[in-house]
Amino acid sequence: MPLDTSTYSLALLRLDGRRWNELRNIHAQISTQAAADGSSYLEMGNTKVLCTVTGPAEGRQSGQRGGRDNEAKVEVEIGFAGFSGLERRKRKNDKRTSEMQHTLETAYSSLLLTHLYPHSTITLNIHILSQDGSLLAACINAATLALIDAGVPMTDYLVACTAASSATSAESDNSDPLLDLNNLEEQELPFLTVGTLGRSDRVSVLIMETRVRMERVEGMLAVGIDGCKRMREILDGVVKEYGKRFS
Amino acid sequence: MAPPQPQQVNLSPAELSFLRSTLCQAPPVRFDHTKGPKDFRSMRAEYDVLPGANGSARVALEDGTEALVGVKAEVETSQWRPSPDARGSALAPDAEMRDAADDEDAKGKGQNSWIEMSVEIPGFRDDDSLPVFLASMLTESLLASGGLKDRLYINTRFHWKLYIDILLLSPPLSYPLALLSMTTHLALLTSRLPALKSEKDEDPLFDDDWDAAVFLYPKSKASASDDKPPVIVLAMGVGPNIIFDPCMEELAVADSVLAIACANATASSTRARIVSVRTIDPPSHLTPPGVPNSMNSATGGTVPASSAEALTQRELLANSGVWTPPRGGMKRGLISQVVKMVVEEGGVAEEVISALQAIELG
Repeated sequence: MPLDTSTYSLALLRLDGRRWNELRNIHAQISTQAAADGSSYLEMGNTKVLCTVTGPAEGRQSGQRGGRDNEAKVEVEIGFAGFSGLERRKRKNDKRTSEMQHTLETAYSSLLLTHLYPHSTITLNIHILSQDGSLLAACINAATLALIDAGVPMTDYLVACTAASSATSAESDNSDPLLDLNNLEEQELPFLTVGTLGRSDRVSVLIMETRVRMERVEGMLAVGIDGCKRMREILDGVVKEYGKRFS
Repeated sequence: MAPPQPQQVNLSPAELSFLRSTLCQAPPVRFDHTKGPKDFRSMRAEYDVLPGANGSARVALEDGTEALVGVKAEVETSQWRPSPDARGSALAPDAEMRDAADDEDAKGKGQNSWIEMSVEIPGFRDDDSLPVFLASMLTESLLASGGLKDRLYINTRFHWKLYIDILLLSPPLSYPLALLSMTTHLALLTSRLPALKSEKDEDPLFDDDWDAAVFLYPKSKASASDDKPPVIVLAMGVGPNIIFDPCMEELAVADSVLAIACANATASSTRARIVSVRTIDPPSHLTPPGVPNSMNSATGGTVPASSAEALTQRELLANSGVWTPPRGGMKRGLISQVVKMVVEEGGVAEEVISALQAIELG
């Protein structure tokens, strides 16, 4: 579906009525499933993701149980539900999925204090129930919440956001970067996914698959990182709200 | 990557023996002692959880197992299949009129291939035996219960293709068939298809008002006799007792397990109907046997010289309280008793179906 992004410059409102730096409605829950060690459910607009954590536990494979150097191994499995997209489609083991899995595995291997759990495996199972843009960001945020619920020690929240450049022509320099894209915007605009460690500016995940002019990247990154900080506050609120039940 | 079987319970032979003897008492004392033999585990259920699906439902049982079902329908072109009847009508002068009559009545025009079901269980591959077996059992009962596939007929050139995607969100702690079936039931019950605006053999055109959509399982005033999707209940036989909806620990001592797909009473039948019955290999067959004192040299017994001798000795000790994995199937008397308990008035089938209906009514 072609999206007329040029209308943005008229009213400075996006297709779904947001301003350039507004996040979509975010709803999150933790400890949604009694059978899992940790679980979370996250909605970012119409993107809905469910994540469960198993472990740290003895690995299921008979060969190597843990990671290298006496550290825990992080495994990520992402499953797209057949009904998640606009049209029903089975997605199994395609390149995009395995790249997302790899991104999450590497990000969390360095973030979690894996040296505390030698010879063990931490398995993250992510179910994508409904997709409407910012998929990788939603997966990262849901995984962070589930790992917190599972009580796996980590240094800070890993939170992620997407940011895009709304510029339609090379001349228009006064275009705003957009925060937290939905599916339509993602198809039309060059965008990146950025994940940072909590309040700090330390970027831990950065993925961009579309082409964009060099000058614009800085603005996109700045907006993305700013969005991550707000996302951290929201997720932190969810965790604290959950904690209040036990105080 | 994953164990090929559902997770085993780690109970010792002594514990298994204890559990079995309590379940064999009259009345049986269940693992959850507050429950009677016909009581189901409590559950939380919700429907219409997904914005992008025609129907969806999520059910979580008290032991933490959780399932999500999404139903999605797409319009597909039907393959033209000549049948002697249709050709006759095309040649006859009153073809128009007969066509009109046919539109009223889509009976017998549905095909089994219009319903596609897939079961996903974390840690299992698509072609592992458990998901495949579960999917085939659920499809089988759905097709056997009648009217659904005929309602997917649009006209001679088009039909709805129904995709039912079943996701088990938690690891399969107990045998998940009953849970998946109840979730599918709820999802199908609340599924809606866009209302058709075009007529006869025109290219289908649908009403874009979702409020005008029609239910896949039409509802009438007398809701008790509406056509409803089937639901599968698990029954297990242990000694002389029958226990419904067994939990994981109870399954580990089952003599035999039956999966019974039942549908509600319709206009033609006054009581609940059984759509299909299957036996399921219970995990108790794989439990390790206990070693009786008489066969244990450490306790003054003599170790049998050969495995054949060990078998005969175990045979004699069958009722001594030392755990031996049950063998054989279900007795005929027990099966007829189960069937009776399911279909009788106020029986298990009626109870489950009306309970699921109550969720939808709110």
